[in-house]
Order: sequence, then C-alpha cells, then structure tokens
Amino acid sequence: MEINELLIWARGPAFHWALAIFVFGMLLRLFEILSLGRKPDLSAARDSGVSGGLRTLFTRSLPRPAIFSREPLRILNGYIMHIGLFVVIFLYRPHIELFGGAWSGLPTGVVDAITAVTILSMFVALLMRFYSPVLRHISTSGDYLAWLITLLPLLTGYLAYNHLLLEYTQMLTYHILSVELLLVLAPFTKLTHLFSFVLSRWYQGYLAGRRGVES
Amino acid sequence: MSKPSVEKGIQFIKAQIDAPVASFFSSCVHCGLCAEACLFYTETEDPKYTPINKVEPMRRIWEQEYTVLGKLKSALGLSKPIDEATFKEWETLVYDGCTLCGRCSVACPLGNDISGMIRKSREGFAAAGYAPPDLIGATQRAMEIGSPMGVKLPAVKAQIRHLEEDTGLKVTIDQQGAEYMVLLSSMEIMNFPEYLEAIARIMRQAGKTWTIASTAFEATNSGIQIGVSDLAKVIVSRIVDAAESLGVKTVISPECGHAYTAVRWEGPNLIGRPYKFEVKHILEILDEFTKAGLIKTEGMEEARLTYHDPCQIARKGGIVEQPRRLLNKVASNFVEMRDAGAMNWCCSGGGGVSANERAEGLKLKAFKRKKTQLDELQVDTLVTACANCRLTLEEGLEENGMDIPVVGLTEMVADHLVEEERGS
Amino acid sequence: MSTISNDTEFRQALDALSLEQQRTVASRFVQNVLSLSGDSRLQQVIDAVEVGTDLATAFKSAKRVSLEAHARCGSEGDWNEQAGYFVARAAQAAVEPQVRTAGKNPAWKAAMQCRMARTCLASDSDEDTHDLETGAQHQLLTDYLNP
Repeated sequence: MEINELLIWARGPAFHWALAIFVFGMLLRLFEILSLGRKPDLSAARDSGVSGGLRTLFTRSLPRPAIFSREPLRILNGYIMHIGLFVVIFLYRPHIELFGGAWSGLPTGVVDAITAVTILSMFVALLMRFYSPVLRHISTSGDYLAWLITLLPLLTGYLAYNHLLLEYTQMLTYHILSVELLLVLAPFTKLTHLFSFVLSRWYQGYLAGRRGVES
Repeated sequence: MSKPSVEKGIQFIKAQIDAPVASFFSSCVHCGLCAEACLFYTETEDPKYTPINKVEPMRRIWEQEYTVLGKLKSALGLSKPIDEATFKEWETLVYDGCTLCGRCSVACPLGNDISGMIRKSREGFAAAGYAPPDLIGATQRAMEIGSPMGVKLPAVKAQIRHLEEDTGLKVTIDQQGAEYMVLLSSMEIMNFPEYLEAIARIMRQAGKTWTIASTAFEATNSGIQIGVSDLAKVIVSRIVDAAESLGVKTVISPECGHAYTAVRWEGPNLIGRPYKFEVKHILEILDEFTKAGLIKTEGMEEARLTYHDPCQIARKGGIVEQPRRLLNKVASNFVEMRDAGAMNWCCSGGGGVSANERAEGLKLKAFKRKKTQLDELQVDTLVTACANCRLTLEEGLEENGMDIPVVGLTEMVADHLVEEERGS
Repeated sequence: MSTISNDTEFRQALDALSLEQQRTVASRFVQNVLSLSGDSRLQQVIDAVEVGTDLATAFKSAKRVSLEAHARCGSEGDWNEQAGYFVARAAQAAVEPQVRTAGKNPAWKAAMQCRMARTCLASDSDEDTHDLETGAQHQLLTDYLNP
C-alpha cells in the first residue's frame, strides 16, 4: 500500500475504529467493576464518606514523606512521565486542533523538549523495572506491553516532528498507527487505571472518610 | 466449619470480590511502592512480601471470574491456576508475613486498599484449610469457650475479687442500665490485670456507671484475624446481644487494636445492622473525660518517653490525637518517633502474627523497623495502648538487648489520677 | 505499730520504709509464692536482694523470666502457669531500678503481683485463695517490723 493511502486510512476509518474500541473497551472495564456493587457500611460514621472520597481523589497524587524517602527517584520519575504525557497529548497545538479544543497549548518547541524528557523517563522506568527486586518480582508481560504501546506514540511523534529516521509522511503515519495501537490495546492492560483510579481512590477514601481515618 | 477444600477456598474469595476490589486490581500499575510501606519487606528485603503480591491468588480469581478478558484467557488455557500449591505458597504471605497494619493501603498512589484485600483473602485461605494452626486453635477456643485463650468467667470474677479487695472499688457484673459496658481482651485479663484496676478507678472518679457482661467480657475477635466472618459474627453478636439487653449507652473497647476494629467497624457489617449503642475506645473515653474535667491528673512522668501508635487504633481507627493529648498531661518529656501518628510502623505482632508461633522468626526480623525508630530516639520508656503491641514490643526489645520498659497509657493516666480519699 | 491488720496500715507501713527495706520486704512476699513458679532463676533474683548483690543483673533475669512466662496471644491460657508469670513480675518489682519506678513503692507492687499469682489458682475454680495471700503478707510485714 502506498504511504499516502496508508496515511489516509490511518487518519480515517482506522482512527474511528480504534477510538470506538477504546471507548467500548474502557466502558466494558468500568462496567465489570461497577456491576459487582458493594455492600453499604453499617458502622456508625464518624465523618462524611463523600468528603473522604473526594479528598482522597487528590491526596493520593501527592507523595507521603515516609514513602518518598525510600524511593525518591522512582516517584519523581513517575511524576515526570505522567506530567510529560499530559503536556504532550493535551498541550500540543496540532493535537488540540484534532480534539477540537478551545484551550491554548504550549509553544511547540517546549512540547518537543518535554517529549524528549518524557521518553527518557520511560526508559528510566523500564530500567527500574529490570533492576528493582520488587519490580522484577511483581512485573508481568502486561507491564512491558503497556510500556511499549505508551512509548511508541511518544517516540514516533518525536521522530516525526524532528524529521528524523524516516520521511515525514511515513513517520507521521506510523505515529498515528501507534496511537491506534495504544487505543485498541489500552483497555486490556493496566492502562485501565486512566479511569479506574477515580474509583479506587474514591472507594477507599469514602470508607476512610466515614471512619475519620487517614487517607 | 465444614470440611476445607480448595474449591471452597476459591468460592469464599470469589464472594469477597466487590466493586472496590475490582477497581483496585484494575488500577494497580505495579509501581511497587506498597513494598516500601511494608515492614516485612523493608526488614527482610524479600520481594515476595510486597503487599500486592500477597493478594495474587485473589487477583487471579478476580480476573478469571469477573473479567471478559480473563474468561477468554481461561477458555484458551492461558490462565494461571489456583490450586493446592497456590494456597500452600501464599499461606505464609497472607498470615505470617502480614499484620494487616494497613500502611500499604495508605501508601498506594492509586488508592488501593491492599490490606483490606489481604484480610478478605484470609477468608478463602481459612476455608481451604490453609491457616496457621495456632490461629485455628484460638478461634475454636473463642467459639466454644468465649475467649481465644480459654479465659472463662470464673477467671474474670477472680480478678474482679482481687481488684475489689485491693482497691475497695466495686465492679458490677451484668448491671442493667449501666452507662458503659467494658470489654476486656484475654491478653489483658491474663497478662495486664492492672488495666481493669485502672478503668475501675477512672470510672469511679468520673462518676460513671459501668459494668462487665458475664456473657460477653471478651473483646478479642479471632474470627477477624483468621479470616472467618461467620465466626467473627458469632463473637461480635455476643457483645451486641449483651450490650443491647443490658441497655448500655456505650461499649468500651479495651487497649487491644484488633478488638476495636472488630467491634467498632466490622461488627455492624457482620451482623447486618447498625448497633443500638455506641462503641468507643478507652482512649477516646479518657480524652472525653479529661476534656470535660471529669477526671483530673496530677504530677508528671519525667522520663524521656515516646508513644507507639497501634495500627488498628491510629491508622485504621482514627485515634491519633487523643493519646497525645493524654500523654502531654502526664509526661513532661514526651518526644515523637519518626513517622509517628497515622503512618507509624507496626509493632510486628498484630493481625494474628503474635499468636502464630510459626511466624516468630519473621516477626522478630520485622521488629527491626521499630528498633530503628527507637534507636534514633533514645528514650527511657515506651508507651502504647494495645496489650498485644505491648508484649510484642517487650519481646522485641528483649531480643535486641534494649532496656526500655513498655507501659500502657490507660495505666499511666490512672497512676496520675487525682482521687478522692478511698475508704477501706 | 505492732500488728498490721488491714491494707491501709499495710500500705502506710510500707511507705515508711527505706528503699532497701522495701526491697527486702518485697523479696519476702515473693518467697511466699515462689512455689507457684517453676522457674529456678527467681530464687536467685530474691537471693540477690537478701545478699545485696548486683540488682541490675537480677532485674534482667526477672524480666526475662516474666517475658518467657507470659501467655502468648491466642494460645491456650493455663492459669497455673500464669501464676508463674505474676511471680516473675513480683520478683521484677522487687529489684526494679529506682529510676524506672519513679518513686513507686516496690514492695507494694510486688505484693500486688504476688496476690495476683495466688488469684490465678482460683481462676479456674470458684475457690477464694486470694485472702490467704493478703493475710500472709500482713503477717510477713508484721514479722519484719517486729523482729
């Protein structure tokens, strides 16, 4: 297939299908969770579960000193990676146009630099997964798959923007295809945490709020 | 309890999986930070003690039973099994290597309640017959005799007589309409009878009526520790029935961590309805009484001392400030250890670990974390509010050649109580 | 004061003694219940008081005995053995370094633990042996004050 045909296909039907699978897949995962329900807590509440749930949505995004002191690099790297991903996806003008968004982005040169840093943080994360005894023990093939499908869009996007490795149209096509790969597979990996984190933080926070305990 | 089997074990774990559990497994990104919160990992550096690893059997069951992808994988023969070998391998992780201290649950960036899941997993392990023999014995005794250590009413009565004669205070049993019903843990009855004396003196000063129920004096709930909700329910029901038939306003949970968790938070959910009375921990009561001026203290301990937060009382119970307020009233040299408060480290003996002789070596290793905290601080006395923590700490300190007395907070407050003249 | 007949007098008399005297009296209380403990180390602990030798070592020993003797959480409680635990605690009280007790009377502490030891025997039955110990202690103190 000629590269321009592939690009048109990637931008068109492939994207719509990938997005549909992503949405459907994520909804399915959320349904799998919510359909299990939970029994109400009958103990006498000390405080509000709702405020506990809401508060916990935010407290878990901040590191606890006792934990941070044990793995500062791993935690900092996690922040760099997540913030970097957010900036690259949502504050890059061509992406904003794609979403039909009304917010302004950052200068593309800045986004480019952040992309490089984010790619670096991905590799640091991979190295840590290899070298930490804990991470080696608990990591599965799913972790490495999730890593790969997240890295590819970053990498191909960076290469395309900087006109490296391959001719621009080719690189762009692979970038879009890699995004589609991510969309299609994400619901079936730990990337479900993109949405389920709201539930997990809420559920524990709610109970903690009722009990008036740390969360 | 009917015959254990792997099939039963799986069914029991399956029954424990609810939306929160599913959200936790869906959100876990294998960041490994839970290990950094767990004293069993930090002091052994053995990655198998990583908290999320402890619930791998539950995760497999969740995936295979409650996810489309999991069902697909099973059909294609791609799923990891859950069999005798699984239960055998994970038994020591779920029991010996975990005190249900809850530090992992607070550390997880995704908000996963990992210790809650370990507690739930125990239901399956017990049903499959893979629980520590010591815990099985304790629970059987709790069921048949009413106390995990086989403490019967005559023993409690003997202690009460001892108390009455030595102090001139009266302790009533089964007093209808008393304001408070006091629970005791077997550990306190057997090892720290001064706790009961302390309560008696404090209640007298505060002018409150209180009683002990002959059918429900035991606070310890081994059903919770072993993970058999049916038994936990029976044990709690005794307390509920006694408290409601005596018409008490408040049940006081003693200086025992898991007893508080069991009766305060899990009880109503076990019996399926809210209580008709309140439950408070003795520290909450002491704090209330001192705030209201019902009891006063005099004199100060001058020794350099610190407070160990029992996990179930502080992190999981929300009682963090009360002991500190009380200590500041009776101690002039109270210093805090690093990580004090809700993030304090477990004594290493909770959640059934101290009752499990098989876990002795591992427990002493895990204790090194508490030793590190204390070495940094160099105190003369260690104060706490849980009889199990107390003995675990004493054993750990002894093992490490550390000469630091461990004292119960309620006793300490009672020692400084301003009391009217006692008649003989 | 010739005879101690109740606990108020008992306590007052104990408080009037010097620390050394309190320790000596405490060791006599412990001697009276020593048969309830199977641990021979405790005899050496009390001997240390009589002879006046190294109390620090005696304390360490008594502490160790009481730790070993305590009822493990969740284990089957044996009240006869538990008596031994309280005897050890009484011995501990008799030799406890002053700095830890901050002025609390070691003899009184020891007396209470000894009574608790005796009470343990009553725990599995409805027998009341507790008074026997109190009476015995009053007599021991009386004998000490009027040699």
